[in-house]
Amino acid sequence: MKCVKGLLAKINWFGFAGGALTILVIVVSLFYPWWQLTVGDDLMKINASPVNTNFGFLDTSFTIPFIWALNVIGLLTLLLSGVAMLIYSVMPAKSFAKPLLDFGYKKPLFTFLFFVIGLVVVTVILQAVLSINLPLMGSATSTVPIPFASGVTLRVLLSAGFQWSFWLAAVAAGLCIAARLYHGKVVAVPHV
Amino acid sequence: MDKIRLLLTVITILIVVIPIVGMLLAYQGNLLGLFIPPEVNEIADDLMGGDGDNGMEPPTMVGEPQYDEASHTFMVTFEYKNSFPVDITIKSLSGNIECAEHGFPLGNASLSEPVSIDAGETGRMTVLGTWTDEAISHFGNMHGDEETVDVVLVDMAVDISGIQIQLDQNQMEQGMQVPNPAYEG
Repeated sequence: MKCVKGLLAKINWFGFAGGALTILVIVVSLFYPWWQLTVGDDLMKINASPVNTNFGFLDTSFTIPFIWALNVIGLLTLLLSGVAMLIYSVMPAKSFAKPLLDFGYKKPLFTFLFFVIGLVVVTVILQAVLSINLPLMGSATSTVPIPFASGVTLRVLLSAGFQWSFWLAAVAAGLCIAARLYHGKVVAVPHV
Repeated sequence: MDKIRLLLTVITILIVVIPIVGMLLAYQGNLLGLFIPPEVNEIADDLMGGDGDNGMEPPTMVGEPQYDEASHTFMVTFEYKNSFPVDITIKSLSGNIECAEHGFPLGNASLSEPVSIDAGETGRMTVLGTWTDEAISHFGNMHGDEETVDVVLVDMAVDISGIQIQLDQNQMEQGMQVPNPAYEG
């Protein structure tokens, strides 16, 4: 009993939860986007996450090959990070544990930050180049320029918002950071 | 420990490089295809008239217009063929009415209620208009002997499924014949 208690005390539970949640985020993100934009009354939809981004227009759903490649990178990065965190968290005192932690704990946070920064950059570019006011959250009516059609103004209702999977990813990133902060205490636990 | 760090670094680099290089190789003959998939062109073709329809056929007037003398309002029914590849709802339509012959402003018109039209189907929409007092005078002074008068709907604003289209002066004027409220037979 004492032995089991000792083994449990040696586990970095923040790391374990962070790793497991990171893998759960991957699975969830395949089906639920982190951020969704709706144009008009569901005429067009953009479902975005670092793992799966697709565009829906009318009845057609498609992805952009370059973004698909970035999504593959995001998926594999998060997967490797989650696995590294899981392995580290059950054996935090082993010699290979620290490199695994250093490798794994930052990836979910960086993926999260890159996603948010990417969205902000896209909205700023659209605003600057095409004068399209793309909301990150909430609704806005934006004027869309129509080439070669002077005298015609097209306004579209844009509704956007971060979905629950986005906040799940934020929690996973937070747990991984907490695992790094907790690492010192776990390795300081004396051997049973 | 260093070996593990090195291995993880190599894996990280491979994870980033392989998808990008693989995609570049797959699209080396068509780099534009990396950013614009064929579905986008198909959608554009559908919307711009790839099947012969341009999606923007003007509505045609059907039936006889009705006029209510007491309220100075008239009612006109239009048929509109939805040649877009998607069901649409015309949520609102409004505009100003001008005399087709003299360009005199006569009043305004708007859709009586939202109309949903399935893809490829034809729907009916009823437009209600109101004449101003100046319009009644214009009808009497300039068209007193005409039973119906040609008018145009200008400065149209249409809301189709959340997409609002505003047509400025001289853009796609919708002509129609309305009963002359000042006609005395």
